[in-house]
Amino acid sequence: MRVLRSSGALWLGLLTVVLLVLPLVVTSRFAIDIFIRVLLFAFIGVAWNLIGGYAKQLSLGHAAYFGLGAYTSTILQIDVGISPWIGMLAGGVVAMLASLPIGALCFRLRGPYFAISTIATAQVFMLLFLKFRDFAWGAEGTTIPNLGNAPLMMQFEAKAAYYYIALGLLAIGLAITYRIERSWMGYYLVAIGEDEDAAEAIGVNAMRIKRDIYMISAFLTALAGTFYVQYIYFIDPQTAFNFNISVEAALVSIVGGVGTLWGPVIGTVLLEATSALLQSWLGSSFGGIQLTVYSLILMAVILWRPTGLLSVLAEVYARIVRRGSAQTKKAVLDG
Amino acid sequence: MGDALVVRNLSKRFGGLRAVQDLSFSVKENETVALIGPNGAGKTTSFNLITGFHRPDEGSVSAFGREIVGLKPYDICAHGLARTFQVAKPFGAMTVLANVMTGAFLRDKKLEVARARAREAIEFVGLSAKEHTPARDLTTIDQRRLEMARALATEPRLLLLDEVMAGLNPAEIDQAVALVGKLSKRGLTIIIVEHVMRAIMAVARHIVVLDHGQKIAEGSPKEVVANQDVVRAYLGPGYVHVAAPGE
Amino acid sequence: MLEVLAQVVVNGLLIGGIYALVSIGVTLIFGVVKIVNFAQGEFVMIGMYISFFLATYFGIDPLVSLAVSMPVLFIVGMLLQHFLIRRVLGLGDMPQIFLTFALSLLLMNLALMAFTANYRTVHTWYSDEAFHLGEIYVPIAKLVAFVLAMALSGILWVFLQTTDMGKAMRAAAQKPEVAMLMGINPNRVFAVATGVSLALAGAAGSLLMPFYPASPMAGQVFVLMAFVAVVLGTLGNVKGALIASLMMGVAESLGIQFVGADSGLIVVFLMLLLTLAFRPSGLAGGGAR
Repeated sequence: MRVLRSSGALWLGLLTVVLLVLPLVVTSRFAIDIFIRVLLFAFIGVAWNLIGGYAKQLSLGHAAYFGLGAYTSTILQIDVGISPWIGMLAGGVVAMLASLPIGALCFRLRGPYFAISTIATAQVFMLLFLKFRDFAWGAEGTTIPNLGNAPLMMQFEAKAAYYYIALGLLAIGLAITYRIERSWMGYYLVAIGEDEDAAEAIGVNAMRIKRDIYMISAFLTALAGTFYVQYIYFIDPQTAFNFNISVEAALVSIVGGVGTLWGPVIGTVLLEATSALLQSWLGSSFGGIQLTVYSLILMAVILWRPTGLLSVLAEVYARIVRRGSAQTKKAVLDG
Repeated sequence: MGDALVVRNLSKRFGGLRAVQDLSFSVKENETVALIGPNGAGKTTSFNLITGFHRPDEGSVSAFGREIVGLKPYDICAHGLARTFQVAKPFGAMTVLANVMTGAFLRDKKLEVARARAREAIEFVGLSAKEHTPARDLTTIDQRRLEMARALATEPRLLLLDEVMAGLNPAEIDQAVALVGKLSKRGLTIIIVEHVMRAIMAVARHIVVLDHGQKIAEGSPKEVVANQDVVRAYLGPGYVHVAAPGE
Repeated sequence: MLEVLAQVVVNGLLIGGIYALVSIGVTLIFGVVKIVNFAQGEFVMIGMYISFFLATYFGIDPLVSLAVSMPVLFIVGMLLQHFLIRRVLGLGDMPQIFLTFALSLLLMNLALMAFTANYRTVHTWYSDEAFHLGEIYVPIAKLVAFVLAMALSGILWVFLQTTDMGKAMRAAAQKPEVAMLMGINPNRVFAVATGVSLALAGAAGSLLMPFYPASPMAGQVFVLMAFVAVVLGTLGNVKGALIASLMMGVAESLGIQFVGADSGLIVVFLMLLLTLAFRPSGLAGGGAR
């Protein structure tokens, strides 16, 4: 693995340079839009991965926090005039606080029933915000006032600016994941995901750990919500609490590799690339084709390689680079 | 030596089934006690009750002077009680080292400290060569060793071993017995649930016999083996015999 | 006031019958095969489309088309178990959840592509008919659906209690290891359980057609209701699912009447959250953990 590590640092450096330079080289608005989508959904996937990938608490309701973040910053911006930069953090805090009672309820169920209760939670938020005309514009939602180029209010003329913000968010998410993965908390998360009872028997306070990581996950997801509103200048309950967001948050990690650092990124690249290709081939003529393909990919991954594609890539890489050493690092964590 | 564990009037029902009835026994510090009995006698349930995985309907469990009924498993572990499971529950996606480190983190959250302590425990059970093997790739026996190492990493004062010898060949049993002996020399109090008579005789000073959730006998290995109730419980009434003079 | 309440309760019970068919199917699969079928709603949807096409092109009444939708979906269920579900048994929660989840997405979107999002309805001679029980208005289509749903549930109950296969299913649900020791082939039992479960879903779809429009997303509402009912009624408990479904039908109906038109869903979710908070293992369960 040492060979991998030093060449890993090299690859990472190269990747960073490429990513930083990309919007300056590829200036097509269409392309940058795709990049932003990839970065944003990779970030959401990374946030989900903390609770869903490592600790295997399969939330299908992360849209709840996405929406809370989006609405908090928008309300603060429009009603109180507070900058979305601050609103973003406020949204994160709101999401964190919301995750406490939600977690307290939902973590009482395990496995699929946990998933269902999270779906229900996101749905409740959507329904509530559809009703909240007084302070949240109800079903029609609202646009945010277009201030032209107003960096302090998170609005930019140059699309590239949004790209860099999204990149920054992803970097933060990856950094947090990296730190956690390599600390005692990372071990505890995987232990809980593997066998919660066994973990408790060796001193892991599963409830507290789940609660804490859920808060972090909610916080990060909310940041993405704020960003999204600022990017599309619009918010309504259907968009903010959309089930598809919850699905994609989970999907990218599962396809790419649950409980791994880069899994969500790989998954997002694959899914968004497929989506973009499909869109350019078929246009929007086939209403359900994108999700059909997504679901087929997901089924293929589940049936063939449930741990995600990252392990496949790792194996291929290992086979090429270290021929003879067949035993590849399938384990999530090596002491 | 004080009492490591005092179990008083422990009872638990599951629906209509009385799994454990009015169980009382105590274990002195640094003693090795065997809990034996036919299948379904309530041995594993007793472990679950003691370690907080089930809540008893009645009774009390006091460990090192502190009442632990009602505490969660992780608090009980922090208090010094560690257990293995009858069917090993390794964290399959993690390596052996990572598994044991997870246990070590209870006492110290620093990575290097945990790693060192984990390595000690791994060496103690003889798994050093497989440190980087993913737990899911281990043999059953190695997985049991891993369970033990992981439990040891939490630095327990009282270790509860649930059928660690099942399915071992005689040489392996001897190894396991030696391991238990080493643990005892380190000062650990040990309660083992076992069926393998040879192992029990070798390690246990004191035996508690359960049948249908109740304690039916208690005493030294010699006393227990001669006890008619015990024989009846295991082998049925036909095997009860009258001791000849001098036996 | 009393009449309004009575009407609301009747409405709720009638639709609750349909929820019952779907939730019994979910709880059956969960109890026996130990997986949660996220795609259950889509099989309801398939049942709806089967009945729609039979009615539109062959003039067959949806209630009669039960004779087609149920067997077809039974076979689909057995195939599903054999080819897909069997591959993910024992792999843990994630593959199981996401397999049926992916299946759900797949079916929904295939339907979307094949049939478009347009609502399809079937109009029978009794679609608009109702009779009056005192002041209470009872739509015939819904009443028939309710009665047949209860009948099917009853037949299932008898099946589980008296037939060998039924008992095998209950054994597999309660004590899988023992069931295997007694020579019960788990895969066959799972296949039948899945088949029965999907057949019930298909039946629900057919029964719905006279008064409910078919669309690719139609199953979603029902599966969500079904899940809540399954949790409320205790996982794996068929009677519990039935009772909980009826309760939820009534709760939804009360919500629609007294809170607002689309608040039915909120009421239902609140029931789920309350259940989770106070009695997580459901009505028949023994409390937490």
